[in-house]
Amino acid sequence: MPSTLEKIRILGANSRYDICASTASSRTDKYPRLFGKSNDWIGATSSGGICHSYTPDGRCVSLFKTLYTNKCIYSCKYCYSSICKHKLSFTPEEYARTFMKLYSMNVVEGVFISSGVCGSADAVTEEMLEAVRLLRFKYHFQGYIHFKCLPGLSQYLLKEAISLSDRISINSEASNKEFLAEIAEQKDFTNDIILRQRWLKSLREKYNEKTIKELKDLEQDNYGKLSFQEKMIKERRKNGYKAFRWDGAPILNGGQTTQFVLGAVESETDWDLLNRIDWQYRKVDIRRAYFSAFIPIEGTPLGHKKPAPLEREHRLYQTDWLLRIYNYNLNDLKDIVDETGNLPNGDPKIHIARVYFKEHGPLDPNHSTYQELLRIPGIGPISAKRIVNLRAKKITFKSRSDLKSVGVVLKRADPFLKINGHNQTTLNNFI
Amino acid sequence: MKTRNSNNIEPLRVAGRYKGYSKEELKRNLPRHCKFSPYILKQINNVADVTLRNSGSPLAKKINRMMKEVFSEAYRAKQFTRTEINNRGVLYGVVLLKHDVIDLVLRYFHERWPKCIVCLYNEHSRKTSLINEKGFIKEIKVPLIEVVEMVSEKHPIMPYFDDIQFSGKDIFETLYKSQFIKKRENPHYFKQMIPDHCYKLPGMRNGTEKRFLNNNRKLDEYIF
Ligand code: SF4
Repeated sequence: MPSTLEKIRILGANSRYDICASTASSRTDKYPRLFGKSNDWIGATSSGGICHSYTPDGRCVSLFKTLYTNKCIYSCKYCYSSICKHKLSFTPEEYARTFMKLYSMNVVEGVFISSGVCGSADAVTEEMLEAVRLLRFKYHFQGYIHFKCLPGLSQYLLKEAISLSDRISINSEASNKEFLAEIAEQKDFTNDIILRQRWLKSLREKYNEKTIKELKDLEQDNYGKLSFQEKMIKERRKNGYKAFRWDGAPILNGGQTTQFVLGAVESETDWDLLNRIDWQYRKVDIRRAYFSAFIPIEGTPLGHKKPAPLEREHRLYQTDWLLRIYNYNLNDLKDIVDETGNLPNGDPKIHIARVYFKEHGPLDPNHSTYQELLRIPGIGPISAKRIVNLRAKKITFKSRSDLKSVGVVLKRADPFLKINGHNQTTLNNFI
Repeated sequence: MKTRNSNNIEPLRVAGRYKGYSKEELKRNLPRHCKFSPYILKQINNVADVTLRNSGSPLAKKINRMMKEVFSEAYRAKQFTRTEINNRGVLYGVVLLKHDVIDLVLRYFHERWPKCIVCLYNEHSRKTSLINEKGFIKEIKVPLIEVVEMVSEKHPIMPYFDDIQFSGKDIFETLYKSQFIKKRENPHYFKQMIPDHCYKLPGMRNGTEKRFLNNNRKLDEYIF
């Protein structure tokens, strides 16, 4: 009988290539607590982001991240589980207890539960859910839980998973059907990934709309929050907690995420990936995408391949940031990818700015829109907002130091700025 | 000097690069600093908000530095304090806090374990601080073990906490090692994330992380 330590050693190592390890806030204080602010509940619900340790590669270890089992009927070509000789599984009780122990030591903030597909996705998910149920209802843990949706999972189990966890992820692995077939031939891109992502989106929207409407109705009827809680508790008795989120908050507060393996398929370009994440942001409401640079594992069918450069991962994160936070358009990125479809070396924002400002000339912060300001390297959403706010108060920017005082990084922004008709450095120096 | 709210008059300076702190925040938190003197508060009272928030003024620089030292000490303590819990629901650990931020750290643990009594021994002041289920804080000059024993006596064994009475040190060490990808090793980034001074904190002195710090460690030992 393998010990818990042995399981953590093997199953932790099997999950280490899953990069999405950040914690999102598990709920907001805006919504009532189903069980009130009882002292029975353990764990932080609002603060995300305290990392209790870091591995020597600088990644944070803030989640109890292991596979539930590494037994798997699939044989994805990049995956360590598919060749790992020690096949192990946690039991729900063991998993929950081990996590609570770690939580009591202040070394982790939450759970990241993923698994190989042992038998069927539904069978393993049932067990994973049992572990999560124990955490929620036996150990009263109300903190962050990230649940991995396995390929082919049934909708009723997905519903239950979202009612119990804060974030769900479905790994896309590749940007389309053909590329996925090259590295994971048994996985069906449309059915196993896209369809499940769509389910998550619609379940989330439907549920949250209903909850928010109910809350509003109750407020109007002067029932107040308590009656909402009572109603939820009654409902829970009747239907089980599957009908709504376990604590009455909006479901999937942390949203759904996805992850891509970079460089496992040689012909897959950055442009393919950017197209896919742009689609996912718009159509299936992905909160964010993660990229895991491919690292060949000896013994796997792709073991002989070259690892993907970490630089590529970094560039994709930067570009993803532009799409997600800066609201850049996919067409803006089109101008900077090279003929092979990959991003050039160097900061993508500067590359885009060079193309854009060559055509439009330097910008005057006194007359530019928020979106235009965001195109200037050295100006982020916060400083752009400050500039727009100040202009609304009829303040004009007379000098570069005015801009510096609102947080603009002049060193980067200078070549693209024109204040009162003057620009400091000629654009040509940089083009 | 006349104090005024200059938000409308000098918005550029108010919306300065650093958010800065309001006078209330400063009055509340500056006294936490170990080198605090009441003279600073006097100075603050006599200076306009805008000067305090403008990170360029010498006074604001000094204040920002002091505030940063206070909050980063509290943050590091929340990050790197390692605790134990006994079967009577007493959570305890050791901290090293120069500044008076023990209440912030206690409240952090209280929020996570509201049913527990949290006891933290501060190596700097050599005092043990406690927070109870109701959120009341007390500080006593008694060693941690004695306090934990005293408090535990008054509480019955709780099955919940009894259930997690096993050593977790090896578990964390194993989890930590299992997450490391050797091919992604980045000592510079690692050092940035856990600066050297953090290894002086009680929870980190013998931590697993420390063994990865020395250049001469054979990382292969940890890989299978
Ligand atoms: S489904 Fe593929 S990636 Fe996931 S554990 Fe199984 S073999 Fe590995």
